[in-house]
Amino acid sequence: MPTHENLPEHATGQNRFRTAPATLFMDRFMTVAIKAGGALVITSVLGIFVFILLQIWPLFAPASVVEARNIQLPDNNYSIIGIDEWGALPFLMEPDGKMLTADFETGEIRKIPIDFGENPPPKFTATTLNKREQDIILGTNDGRFFMVSPKYSSSESDGRQLITINPKASPAEPIGIPGQPVQTIAYGESGSQKLVVAIQPDGDTNRISASLYKRKRSLMGAGKTALAASFDLTPLIPGTPSRIIVPGTADSVIATTADGKVHYLVQNGDSGFSLAQTFSPFSDLENPEIATAAFLFGDVSIVFGSESGANRIFSLYYPEGGDKRLFGLTHEFPSLGARPNFIASTLRNKAFLLGGGNALSLRYSTTDSIRWEQGVPYDPVNAVISGKYQRMAVLDSENKLHFFEIHDPHADSGWKALFGKVWYEGSSAPKWEWQSTGGSDDFEPKYSLIPLIFGTLKGTLYAMVFAVPIALLAALYTSQFLDPGSRAMIKPVMEIMASLPSVVLGFLAAIYIAPLIEDEVPSLLLVAAGLPIIAASIGFVWSRLPIEFRKFIPAGREWIVFLPVLLGSGAFLWSLGPAFEAIAFAVTDPATGQRVGDFRAWWPAATGSTFDQRNSLVVGFMMGFAVIPIIFTITEDALSNVPKSLLTASMACGASRWQTALRIVLPTASAGIFSALMIGLGRAVGETMIVVMATGNTPIMEWNIFSGMRTLSANIAVELPEAPHHSTLYRTLFLGAMVLFLLTFAVNTVAEILRQRLREKFKTV
Amino acid sequence: MTTNTLKQPRPDFINIRDFSFFYGKKQALFNISMEIPERQVTAFIGPSGCGKSTLLRNLNRMNDLIDDIHHEGDIVIHDKSIYDPHIEVISLRKRVGMVFQKSNPFPKSIYENVVYPLRVAGQNKKHILDETVERSLRGAALWDEVKDRLHESALSLSGGQMQRLCIARAIANRPEILLMDEPCSALDPIATVKVEELIRKLKEEFTIVIVTHNMQQATRCSDRTAFFYLGKLIEFDITQKIFSNPSSKQTEDYITGRFG
Repeated sequence: MPTHENLPEHATGQNRFRTAPATLFMDRFMTVAIKAGGALVITSVLGIFVFILLQIWPLFAPASVVEARNIQLPDNNYSIIGIDEWGALPFLMEPDGKMLTADFETGEIRKIPIDFGENPPPKFTATTLNKREQDIILGTNDGRFFMVSPKYSSSESDGRQLITINPKASPAEPIGIPGQPVQTIAYGESGSQKLVVAIQPDGDTNRISASLYKRKRSLMGAGKTALAASFDLTPLIPGTPSRIIVPGTADSVIATTADGKVHYLVQNGDSGFSLAQTFSPFSDLENPEIATAAFLFGDVSIVFGSESGANRIFSLYYPEGGDKRLFGLTHEFPSLGARPNFIASTLRNKAFLLGGGNALSLRYSTTDSIRWEQGVPYDPVNAVISGKYQRMAVLDSENKLHFFEIHDPHADSGWKALFGKVWYEGSSAPKWEWQSTGGSDDFEPKYSLIPLIFGTLKGTLYAMVFAVPIALLAALYTSQFLDPGSRAMIKPVMEIMASLPSVVLGFLAAIYIAPLIEDEVPSLLLVAAGLPIIAASIGFVWSRLPIEFRKFIPAGREWIVFLPVLLGSGAFLWSLGPAFEAIAFAVTDPATGQRVGDFRAWWPAATGSTFDQRNSLVVGFMMGFAVIPIIFTITEDALSNVPKSLLTASMACGASRWQTALRIVLPTASAGIFSALMIGLGRAVGETMIVVMATGNTPIMEWNIFSGMRTLSANIAVELPEAPHHSTLYRTLFLGAMVLFLLTFAVNTVAEILRQRLREKFKTV
Repeated sequence: MTTNTLKQPRPDFINIRDFSFFYGKKQALFNISMEIPERQVTAFIGPSGCGKSTLLRNLNRMNDLIDDIHHEGDIVIHDKSIYDPHIEVISLRKRVGMVFQKSNPFPKSIYENVVYPLRVAGQNKKHILDETVERSLRGAALWDEVKDRLHESALSLSGGQMQRLCIARAIANRPEILLMDEPCSALDPIATVKVEELIRKLKEEFTIVIVTHNMQQATRCSDRTAFFYLGKLIEFDITQKIFSNPSSKQTEDYITGRFG
C-alpha cells in the first residue's frame, strides 16, 4: 500500500468524492427547465392547432334557427308578407288593401292605412310582392294596378333601433282589358325596365297581358318610367296558367300550368315575347303538379315544390354545345314529406325556406344542403326572410306569426362546397371552382379547395421535375467525382443559395425569367433536350480519348474541360432557337397571311390549351432553384457520409467510380437522399412568394405547363387582405392552411416510414 | 484468368524499385526496393506509422483515392509497371485484391457481397455467380456456416464471419495477388486462428502480402517477412531467419519487444 503522508489534504480527504452543491442544483434546475420548456412548446403547438380548428369548425356547422316569439294576428286572409331589411317590422296585406304590421320587439300589432287617393277606395283582387324592394303590387277589379312602397325608415331612440313604416301608393296604371278584374298579377323590376303581367277573364277564357315600362335616361339623372309596350301573351301559353312569375330582370315570364308544365317566355327586344322553353319539373312523379315555385336570389334559379313535397331547382344555363340559355335541373333536395305551401328566399344568398304540413326546412340551393329542418306544431302557410338573412317570420294557418332568429353565417359553406363538385348558377355542369369575390351584389363566392390543392400539386410537381434530377446528379457528382478542392468551394456556395429569400427569386421570376421564357420557349426546349445529350457525349468522348490527353487533367477536375464545351454548346443551341421556332412552330399570321414561327401562337393552336406568360414552367424553374440547394446539400451530406471503407472495398473489387457510386453509394445513402427529397418536397409544397409572384394565381385545373396555377399557400397570401374577420373566406383560408398542413403531414409521415425502412435495409456496420 | 498455378513461381512477381511515397510534403516511404515472390505469404511488420500499410496500399493504387499524393520510383507486377498510364487502375485492382483491417461488407446480402467483383466486371450469368459464391465461400472457409442464408444481409454475420466474407469477396474474381491489411486486428483469437489457417491455404493459389502488428501471426503464416521502420525497409528475409537471427539490431529490438 502506498502511503499518503506526503499528499496534501485535498488529495486525501473524503471531500474529493463530494459533488458540489452548485453542480447538483444546476443539474436539477436544468432538468426541470428543459421539461418545462418542452411542455410549453407542445402546449403552444397544440394551442395553435386548437385555434385553427376553432376557426374552421363553423364552416361545417349547421344553421341555428330559434323561435324568438310569436304573435297572434286577427283572423283574416293575409295575402303577402313583407319585411324590412333588419327583420324587425314585417307587414301583411289584407285582401281589402289594408296593411298590418307586427313589431318583433314589442309584439305590437298595428293597422297601417294606405292612401290610394281614390274615393271610394279601389277593390283589390290580386296581390304580389316585389321581393327586392318589398314593393306591393295590387291588381284591382277594374283592370288597373297600384304599386305601394312600404318606405321603411330606421332611427335611433334610447340606444335602440326604431323601425317605422310609411307606405305610399303610386297612382294606378291600367293593364290588359279595361274594366276586367285582375285575377293574378306578377311584377318584375330591373334598373332599366319594369314588367307587369296580369291574368283577367275574357269571356269564357282568360287573357294574359303584359305591360313593359322603360325608364327614360336623361342628362339630369334617372328619368321617369313610362309605358313602352303592351303585349298579349295568351297565344304563347297553352292552357290556363296557375301561376305567373316575373324575374327581377323583367325580361322574361314564367308561367306554370295545372298539368305541371312550366312555360318560359323571353322578351325579344320591343317586339314582344316568344316561348323559349316548356318543361315539366316533376314529369317523372305520379303527380307532376307544381305546388309552389319561386325565384332564388339572383333570378337565375327557380325552386319548385311538388304536390307530394318533392323539391327541385332549375337554373338558366347554356347547355353543353347550345347557344340558348334555358332552364335545366341543377339541384334536387329530399322531399319535404308534405305539400309545401310556400318558398321564401332571401336577398343575401341562395338559401330558401320551404314550409308546409307541419314542417319547416331551410335549404341552401348551391350546396344541396339542408341547413335546418324542424317539425312544427302548426301548418305554416307563408313566410318571409329578412334581407340580411338574420330573421324570418312564418305565418301559420291559425294566423299566428312566428319569429325566428337565424344564425347561419356560413350557409354557403360545408363539405360539398369546399371539396365537392358544385353546380353554380350559370355554369353548364358541376365544377370545382375557386372564386372568392365578384363584381355584382348577387355574385356567389365559390370556395372549392380542390383547384388550390391541384395547383399546389401542380407547382410542386413541376418544381420537383426540374429540381430533383439536377440536384441529385449534382450531389452525386460533387460527392463522388469532383476533386476535394472544387468540392470545398461548391458546397458553401450551394448553401448560400439555399438561404436566398424566395421573394427575391419570385421577383426575378416575374420580372426577368417570365418575359424571357415567353419569347424563347423554342431555345429553351433545344437547350433542355440538347444539353444532357451533349453532356453524355462529352463524357463518352472523354473516356475514349488516349491517356496522353487525359493525363493532363487530374481526376475530379474534368469540369475544367467540360464546362467551356458545355456552355458553348448551350449558347449555340440557344441561338438556334429562332430558326427552330420558324421550322417547328410555324403558324399563319392573321395580319399578313404569312407563315411565321411563333410558339406563343402555335401552342394554343396545336394543343388547345392556353399560353400564359406567368406559367408553370417559370414557377417550376424558379421554385426548382429554391429547392435544388436544399436537396443538393442534404443529398451531398448523405452521399459523403457513406463510410469510406465501403468505397475502398468497392474500388478494391475493381469497380469503377461510377459503379461504386451507383451500386454502393446510392443505395447506402438512399435513406438520406429520400429525406432530402421529402424536405425539398415540403419546401415546394409550402413555397409562397415565388408562386404568388410568378404564376398568374389562376385557380384552374389543368396540367398544361404553359398555364398558371394557384397554390394553397399563395391563396392565403393573396386573399388574406380581402377576407373580413370571421367571414366564410377568412375561415376558408384557415381551412386551406389546415389542408396544407395535413398534406405535408401525410407526406412526411409516409416519407418517414419509408426512410426508416430504407435505413434498416441499408444500414452499415 | 491466368494459369499461374501451373508455372514455376516467380521470385520477383512484385518488383518494388527504389520506391518513395509522399503525402503532400511529408515523405512516407524512402527508396524501398524489394522483390515479393509469387504464391508465398509475405508479411510486412513494423511499428505504427512505419509505412508498411502505405506500401501495401500502393500495390493496388488504393492511395490514389487520397488527395495530394505523389511517388517516385516504380512498382512492377508481372513485368508491368502499375503506374503505366495505359493500365487502367480498375484492371489493376482486379488483379490485386484486398482485404481491409476493418471488415467492410456492403449493405447487401451475403451472396451479393461475394459476387460484387463479378457484377462490376459485367458478369451476370446466374450459374457462374452461383458457382463463384460456393467456391469463394468454401475458399474462405465460410460456406458451411452461411450456405443456408446466402440471401440474408451480410451485416447479420459475426465479426469473424464478416472478415472471412470480405476475403471470399476479395478472391471471388480470382486475383493474382491478395493484399491483407491487418486482417485479424479486429478479431477475437478463435476467429484469428481461422483466418490464419485460411491464409496458409490461400497461398497455394494467390500471392499474399499481409500487414500485421502481431509478430506471432507473421511467424505462423508468412514465408517471408519485411521489417519497416520510419518509412525505410530495414530487413527483408525468410521469416524464420528474421525471427531467429535478424541481421539488423533494429529488427532484433523490435521483434524482442524492446520498442514498438
